[in-house]
Amino acid sequence: MKTLLIGMGNPIITDDAVGIMLARDAGAALGPRPDVDVIDECSIGGLNLLDLVTGYDRVVVLDSIKTRDGVPGTWYRFDATDLRETMNLRNVHDANFATAMALGRSVGMHLPDDNAIHILAVEIDDNVNFSEELSPVLASAYDELRDEILAEVCRVLDGDPVRETPPAAAAVGDEPATARSATWR
Amino acid sequence: MTRRISIDPITRLEGHGKIEIFLDDDGAVEDCHFQIPELRGFERFVEGRPIEELPRIVTRICGVCPASHHMASAKAVDGCFGNECPELAHKLRDMYYNAHYIHSHIAHFYALAAPDFVCGPDSEPAMRNILGVVDKVGLEIGGAVIKARAMAQEIQMILGGRFTHLVWCLPGGVAKGCSKEDLEKIKPMVAELYDFTQFSLQLFRDVVLGNEGYVDLIVNGPYTLDVHNMGLVDENNAPNFYDGKVRVVDYEGNEIVKYAPREYMNVVAEHVEPWSYLKFPYLKERGWKGFVEGIDTSLYCATPLSRLNVADRMATPKAQEAHDEMFTTLGGKPVKAQLAQHWARLVEMVQNAETLQKYCDDPEITGDGYRVVPEQITGEGFGIVEAMRGTLTHHYTCDENGMCTSANLIVGTTNNNAPIHMVTRRVAQHLIKPGVEPDQGILNMVEMAFRAFDPCYSCATHSLPGEMPLEVQIVKGGKPYREFRRNC
Repeated sequence: MKTLLIGMGNPIITDDAVGIMLARDAGAALGPRPDVDVIDECSIGGLNLLDLVTGYDRVVVLDSIKTRDGVPGTWYRFDATDLRETMNLRNVHDANFATAMALGRSVGMHLPDDNAIHILAVEIDDNVNFSEELSPVLASAYDELRDEILAEVCRVLDGDPVRETPPAAAAVGDEPATARSATWR
Repeated sequence: MTRRISIDPITRLEGHGKIEIFLDDDGAVEDCHFQIPELRGFERFVEGRPIEELPRIVTRICGVCPASHHMASAKAVDGCFGNECPELAHKLRDMYYNAHYIHSHIAHFYALAAPDFVCGPDSEPAMRNILGVVDKVGLEIGGAVIKARAMAQEIQMILGGRFTHLVWCLPGGVAKGCSKEDLEKIKPMVAELYDFTQFSLQLFRDVVLGNEGYVDLIVNGPYTLDVHNMGLVDENNAPNFYDGKVRVVDYEGNEIVKYAPREYMNVVAEHVEPWSYLKFPYLKERGWKGFVEGIDTSLYCATPLSRLNVADRMATPKAQEAHDEMFTTLGGKPVKAQLAQHWARLVEMVQNAETLQKYCDDPEITGDGYRVVPEQITGEGFGIVEAMRGTLTHHYTCDENGMCTSANLIVGTTNNNAPIHMVTRRVAQHLIKPGVEPDQGILNMVEMAFRAFDPCYSCATHSLPGEMPLEVQIVKGGKPYREFRRNC
């Protein structure tokens, strides 16, 4: 099974870089593997992302997310069947990611199934200010976070299913997701 | 008591925008604000950095126009180092940029514009997207769109090493050239892209021009605006997306000014309104006169339609044919119907494809003189390109060590801030009448007004939020009494 690991985000918007940092660390820890490709810096969505994931059986996206009352440094795992909005997966200049994937499948492209698109989204504090440093709260949580995410990436690569039902609507501005907790991660 | 309708945030729009529609007691539109509630300050972030880093940093402002920022920045940096960039480097950059244009215009036309026409402005929101277009027009369209975009992207990959967040342009040129092997890979893709531009034009004829209602909406609907036009032109006054002078023609088609990039501050000034962080550019010599049209206005559009309005001709023959068809159909220049932006993009795509063909036939394009390492720091540079959504200006200064001391950016969408505000207000006033309750169809037709501009606010205000669903709030008597949400 060919897997693509993507670090999603913007390296100069403070915590938005966390997915990129995690992908770099995960890629280094995994080492060269014939079944895994790593794109450690990606900030595209929609049809552009469709081009990127074509040909893969499984995709793991490391990204940031902001939910109401979310605790920076916690993280969530969900798949594309309940995909709402991480900070970067959509590009409103073109189709959203779900629409782009549906379009690709309709024309017979080799794309991962929705349940093989895994998103590990880290709750962040600051994605507003330009900075190449993480916010203090996320920086202090990073080492532990990195170890947890790496372990989870390995579980995904080993084929473990999502263990608990993720929030159905962990979207910006939505009500707090009831499933969000330290135990959920 | 004024009622307030908020469309917040706007769908299919990069960045966070918000429309507030104020209704009077009878339910008629009193006013309409197109607001940008974000501010970042990117220019300050780059101060103190090595000036040659800026073309790499500015691509991170936004994931939609990274190549436009990269090119404008590279030209401004060239200026800081004495403008020693060789002609071949300019050709290669231009070649890349034309492929980038096709890539972007395809996305806008098929994912954003076509749903309004193919599916209809009042169609179900869930189907008002590219899937709805494919459902109506045929599966092969979807495959053709994906393939054409992939080819435009591949050309960018071959030339620049990557298609987004370029690190290709360097002071005095580019980091790599185009080998003969590269060119052999590019040629067949360019031929297919040219065919795709013709296919897209025919689709527009069939679906839009073949529908009298749509033609009437474009020509006679409320989507018109009497302001001036701005665009980059070459020495023949044909559109050029990478280089040239900026030409401004008035709302009647007469040239007001044609200026070199370094003169931009003599021509453009920016007005501030308390209800938006995004500034409102206007023609400096005429002074700020408010949100007015016609003889008194100092406002201008910088859009695909503007680029064609300011041009005397197209730069390539088939694009000229497409241009002539468009202006003949729409009654000559300048066209003021903002929904014609979608048609203008298709005309531009033809020129993009023909320009790529020209470079494929250029024996010098595979040469190796694509960079001259600059040996002097002159301290100031100006770079102007046409971003897909408007004239993009970068202006930098640096000290004797090449460290950035100031940066000023006027981005494409900012130019169009006032026109977007005005046409949105006009459409709202036209459609929302006393006794007419706004529904999804009407609200989408209001959105169509600004969507025609393909606005992108992530760099206009230097913000990068993800897409959020559309929220519509209708406020009556100071309290919300109705709310819509939809995910597009």
